[in-house]
Amino acid sequence: MAAGVAAWLPFARAAAIGWMPVASAPMPPPPHDKRRSQEGFIILNVSGTKFQTWRNTLERYPDTLLGSTERDFFYHEETNEYFFDRDPDIFRHILNFYRTGKLHYPRHECISAYDEELAFFGIIPEIIGDCCYEEYKDRRRENTERIQDDEDNENGKEMTPPDMTMRQSMWRAFENPHTSTMALVFYYVTGFFIAVSVMANVVETVPCGTSFNRVKDVSCGERYALAFFCLDTACVMIFTVEYLLRLIAAPSRYKFVKSVMSIIDVVAIMPYYIGLVMTDNEDVSGAFVTLRVFRVFRIFKFSRHSAGLRILGYTLKSCASELGFLLFSLTMAIIIFATVMFYAEKGSNSSKFTSIPAAFWYTIVTMTTLGYGDMVPKTIVGKIFGSICSLSGVLVIALPVPVIVSNFSRIYHQSQRAEKRRAQKKTRLSRIRAAKSGGANAYLQYKRNGLLADAEEEASKEAGKALVCKVNPTFETQHHHLLHCLEKTTNHEFVDEQTYETSCMEVSMVKPSTSRSSSVSSSPHGLTSCCSRRNKRKSFNVPNSNMTSGRRGSVQELSTIQIRERPLTNSRSSLNAKFQETMPLNSEQPPYITAAIISMPTPPVTTPEGGDFQSNIVRVSAL
Amino acid sequence: MNRIVEMKAKNRDQSLSDSRDLDGSYDQLTDSIEDDFELSTVCHRPEGLEKLQEQTKFTKKELQVLYRGFKNECPSGVVNEDTFKIIYSQFFPQGDSSTYAHFLFEAFDTNKNGSVSFEDFVIGLSIILRGTINDRLNWAFNLYDLNKDGCITKEEMLDIMKSIYDMMGKYTYPCMQEDAPREHVENFFQKMDRNNDGVVTIDEFIESCQKDENIMQSMQLFDNVI
Repeated sequence: MAAGVAAWLPFARAAAIGWMPVASAPMPPPPHDKRRSQEGFIILNVSGTKFQTWRNTLERYPDTLLGSTERDFFYHEETNEYFFDRDPDIFRHILNFYRTGKLHYPRHECISAYDEELAFFGIIPEIIGDCCYEEYKDRRRENTERIQDDEDNENGKEMTPPDMTMRQSMWRAFENPHTSTMALVFYYVTGFFIAVSVMANVVETVPCGTSFNRVKDVSCGERYALAFFCLDTACVMIFTVEYLLRLIAAPSRYKFVKSVMSIIDVVAIMPYYIGLVMTDNEDVSGAFVTLRVFRVFRIFKFSRHSAGLRILGYTLKSCASELGFLLFSLTMAIIIFATVMFYAEKGSNSSKFTSIPAAFWYTIVTMTTLGYGDMVPKTIVGKIFGSICSLSGVLVIALPVPVIVSNFSRIYHQSQRAEKRRAQKKTRLSRIRAAKSGGANAYLQYKRNGLLADAEEEASKEAGKALVCKVNPTFETQHHHLLHCLEKTTNHEFVDEQTYETSCMEVSMVKPSTSRSSSVSSSPHGLTSCCSRRNKRKSFNVPNSNMTSGRRGSVQELSTIQIRERPLTNSRSSLNAKFQETMPLNSEQPPYITAAIISMPTPPVTTPEGGDFQSNIVRVSAL
Repeated sequence: MNRIVEMKAKNRDQSLSDSRDLDGSYDQLTDSIEDDFELSTVCHRPEGLEKLQEQTKFTKKELQVLYRGFKNECPSGVVNEDTFKIIYSQFFPQGDSSTYAHFLFEAFDTNKNGSVSFEDFVIGLSIILRGTINDRLNWAFNLYDLNKDGCITKEEMLDIMKSIYDMMGKYTYPCMQEDAPREHVENFFQKMDRNNDGVVTIDEFIESCQKDENIMQSMQLFDNVI
C-alpha cells in the first residue's frame, strides 16, 4: 500500500460508521492496540551522515529492514541511534522512498552498488518509479550482458549442452550457423545454390545467338534447355531437402509453417513441381510460364543469410501506416489531376487523353518527374494544368519521403528497444501484482490459517520478499478489522477466486444430495467444509421456525459464521495478545456461541445432520 | 502568475481558432491541460492549529499526525473527489468502493464546493471519532440522507446499500445475489420505520438505533481509532 495511504487508515476506519446502523450482524471487537506507535524521531547514522525521520515514516513498509524490528540489530546504545556502515549517498534515495513512496534511481550511481544497497535494505527493485525504471533496467541489462560476455570469452564458446536431442541440435544448427562447422557448411551451400538458381533464371532469358534454322535469336534457356533443367532440378532438390529438414527440426511445426520464411520457401519450389505434374499441353503452358515468375522469389531466401534484409522487411511492415498515407495522398492527387487534364484536353482532337484512367498514366509520370513524353497536353489550358501537376508532384512526393526516412531510422532503433521494453514490462508488472496481491491475500491468509506463524510464512512466501515480516502488524491488524467489519455488515465474506468457483459449483451440485461424507471428512480448508455444510442446511425446511425466510437465512448465516469464525477471532486476538492471553479470551467468546445454539433450536432434532452440528461444535471447542 | 497564464491562453486560442473554423472540431487536449493547470495552482492552507483544536476534539499531536498524512497525499491542501476515491479504493482492493466514497465525499464536503479541505476533513473525523453516540448517529443519518431533506427514503437506502455491497466485490462467500441489497434494505426499514410511512426520519432513526444493542456497541468501536 502506498506510503501516505497508511496515514489515512484512521479515516477509512471512521468512514465505516456508515456501515454500522445497517449491519445485520454485530461487529467484531476492535483489535487491541497493545503497542501504541510512539511518535518520535529516529536518528539513522549512515557512515557518519546523520538522517532523521519520524518513526512512523519508516514503519510504513514493515517488510523492509528499516521498517521492521531488524533495524534493532543496528541500534547503537551509547549514542541512541541506528548505525549503518553503508553508502550515505545511495541511502538518501532509500530514505526518500519511505518519505514519498517512490523509489528513484540516480543515474550517476553504479548499478551494482545500487542493487546491493537495495538488497541490503530489503527493497525490491520492481517498485522503482516509472520515471527511472527504464533507465534502471537498461543499465542492469547492460551490466549483466557485459558480465556474461566476459564469462563467455573466458570459457570459450564450447557451450554445447550434452543432452540436447537430435531434433533440438538440428534446429539450433539451422538457426545459428556459427555453432558448428557442419551448420556453417550447410549455410554456405544453400546460399550458393540460391545464388546459382537466381543466376540461372536470369541467364535463361538472355538471347544466345541464332541457331541454324531460325531467323531470330533464341534465348539460352531454349538452347540449352536440358542443362538448365538439370540445374533447376538440382537446386530444387537442395531447397526441398532443406525445407523438409527445417520442418522436422522445428520445435513448433505449426508456427514454422505459418512463418514468412517457410512461405517463401514453398513458393520458391512450387513452380517446379507444378511444372513436373502438368503435361505439355499448349493451353496450360501459358499459365505455366507465368508460374515461372514465382521462381524469382528464391531471392528472398537470402533474407535468412542477411540480417539487414530482415530488418528492412520488418521496418517496411512497421512503416505501413506512413506508406499507406503516402499512397493515399498520391492517389488523391492523381485522381484530381487526371480528371482536370482529361477535361482540359477534351477539346483537342487526336488527344491521347481518351479517358480519365488513361490520364492516370500521364499524371503519375508527370508527378514523379519522370516525363516519358508519350502523352503530352496540347491545349493551353492543358499545359497550364500540366505544369501545376508537375510542380505539385514534386511537393507531394518530396514532403512525405523524408518523414518516412526518419521514421525508418526511428523505427529501426525503436524496434530494437520496444522488444526488450515489452519483455521487461510483463515480468515487472507480474511481480508488482504478486506483491500487491500479497496485501489483499494477506487478509484471506489470516482467515484461512488463523495462526500467526502460518500467516507469516505464507505472506513471506507469497510476496517473495527478502525478509520475513516481523511482528509489526498494527496497520495490518486494523485494516483486517476494517475488512472484517464490512463482512459483518453485509453478511458476506471475502474469498479468493478458487473458493468462489468451488462454492458456486457446490451450490448447484449439493442441493439435492444429502451425503454427509463431504462435510464430515476433515478438510484442511475449514472454509470449504463449512461451505458445503451451509448449502445443505439451506436446502432443508425448518418446519417449526416461525421466523420470516429472510430472517432465517440471516440467522442461519449468523450462527454458522459465528461457529466458523471462532478460530479466527481467537487467532486475531492471539495475534495481538502474543499467545499469552488465549485462555481468558475464550471466556469472552461464549456469547456468540450460545446465541448460535439458542437461535437454532430445531435442527439438532429434525435434521439427520444434527449429529454433525453437534460434532461441529465439539470440534470447534476442542480448538 | 495568473496574468501570464491568461496571456498564453489567449495566443493559443487565437492560433487554434483557424483550424477550428476549418472543420468545426476542437482539440480537447489543450483545453484539459488548461483545466489541470488551473487546479494545481490552487493552494489551500488550513486555519491555525489552535483554532482547529477549538473546533474539534482532537489533541494537538493528533491534529499534527492527521495533517501530515493529509498533506502528503494532497499537497495542494484540498481533496477533490477523484483523489478521495483513489485513496479510499486502496483499502478495498477486491471491490468497487467509488460509489460509497462518493457518498462519503458528499458527507464530508459540508459547504458543497466540490472539495474537502483539511478543516472539513478534521471536523468530520472529530464527530465520528470523538463525538457522543448521538453525534455519531446524526452523522450517519446525514450520510444516508443523500438529498439532505431530513428523511431517508427506500431509494436512498438502496443506493447506499448497493454501494456497500459493491465494496465486497465479486469473490464473496456466499455468492452475491442480485437482490441481497434490496433484502437488506427491507430489513432495515422494518426495524427503523416505526410509523410505516416509507421513510425514516432522524428521530425514528436515533430511537431505533438506541434500542438496538448491536448498533450501540458498534458505535463504541470508534473510540480508539486514533
